[in-house]
Amino acid sequence: MNEQVKEYVKLLFNEGRIAGFLGLRNQDGVVTPHLYKIADELDNGFSVGDFKGTADARYPLSRILMSILKADTENTYGVLLRGCDDRAINELLRWNQGQSPDRIVKVGIACSQELADRHECRKPYPEDIVAGEKAAPAAAVSVSELDSQDLMTRLDYWIKEFDKCIKCYGCRNVCPVCFCNVCSLEDDNLIRTGDLPPENPMFHLTRAAHMAGRCIDCNLCTEACPANIPLRTLYKKVAGIVQDEFGYTTGEKSDGKSPLNILGPDPGHTAAND
Amino acid sequence: MKQLLNFAGVDPERLMLKWVSSAEGPRFAKVVTEFIEKVRELGPSPLANSPVKKAG
Repeated sequence: MNEQVKEYVKLLFNEGRIAGFLGLRNQDGVVTPHLYKIADELDNGFSVGDFKGTADARYPLSRILMSILKADTENTYGVLLRGCDDRAINELLRWNQGQSPDRIVKVGIACSQELADRHECRKPYPEDIVAGEKAAPAAAVSVSELDSQDLMTRLDYWIKEFDKCIKCYGCRNVCPVCFCNVCSLEDDNLIRTGDLPPENPMFHLTRAAHMAGRCIDCNLCTEACPANIPLRTLYKKVAGIVQDEFGYTTGEKSDGKSPLNILGPDPGHTAAND
Repeated sequence: MKQLLNFAGVDPERLMLKWVSSAEGPRFAKVVTEFIEKVRELGPSPLANSPVKKAG
């Protein structure tokens, strides 16, 4: 897959279609995001994110791309993306976090079935695929398992999980759709600062509420968490609620706004909100 | 919000969202009093015993 993608990107460079390519690079045994500026550079450590296993080095390339497009308002850039990155780009555009979708050249790769199952991925392939075969989406087992438990079991489960939190903000920092300039999680008036573990369960429920209509189900948060808190299970549930209540699916290509990004008319005092 | 609480294991009945205008003093008092009564009936929150809560 590596070679196939590399050749495709080289072609993009040679045809002059892109000024740079945001991908991953294995440098000195560490895989990190890298902005390739010339085709020859691709021969030096180009990676699709396979480090010790398949795609165990993933980054929120979508969000990084948006900052590149913001800094350079003229050129077109290519980006390496999986199904999750594709959804993230769509979602970021819907939230006005990038104004020029026409300056993005997507180089999509489909994830293997093993990877899709490991991440319980709802759509393990992007819209346009350059390399890889489409795998089947995985069912949301983690959510339905918890849903079948009773209230107290669920509470015990989450309190125990949240107690492991070391408040590194890793889940927020790695999140492709966390773009707010001011974060509620750092506001002392909303959540007491200085506590460790952070106020339980307020800290994590606040983040979960903010993921409504945003979380594109990439599983980076769970992967990044040093305490192995199954955060995505929580956000997956939230996404399900938004889907049921508003019929909104995150990460789809459309001009519509996220339901939680709409300022409706003043509701006033009506029987409906009595 | 209630569904999220339910998933996290908190009784959704413990949350109330109501729209009350600033000009509706008596209505506010009524709404709050009713909710307090409801919470009393539900008893202490299971979260009150959480070790983390006490740290505050």
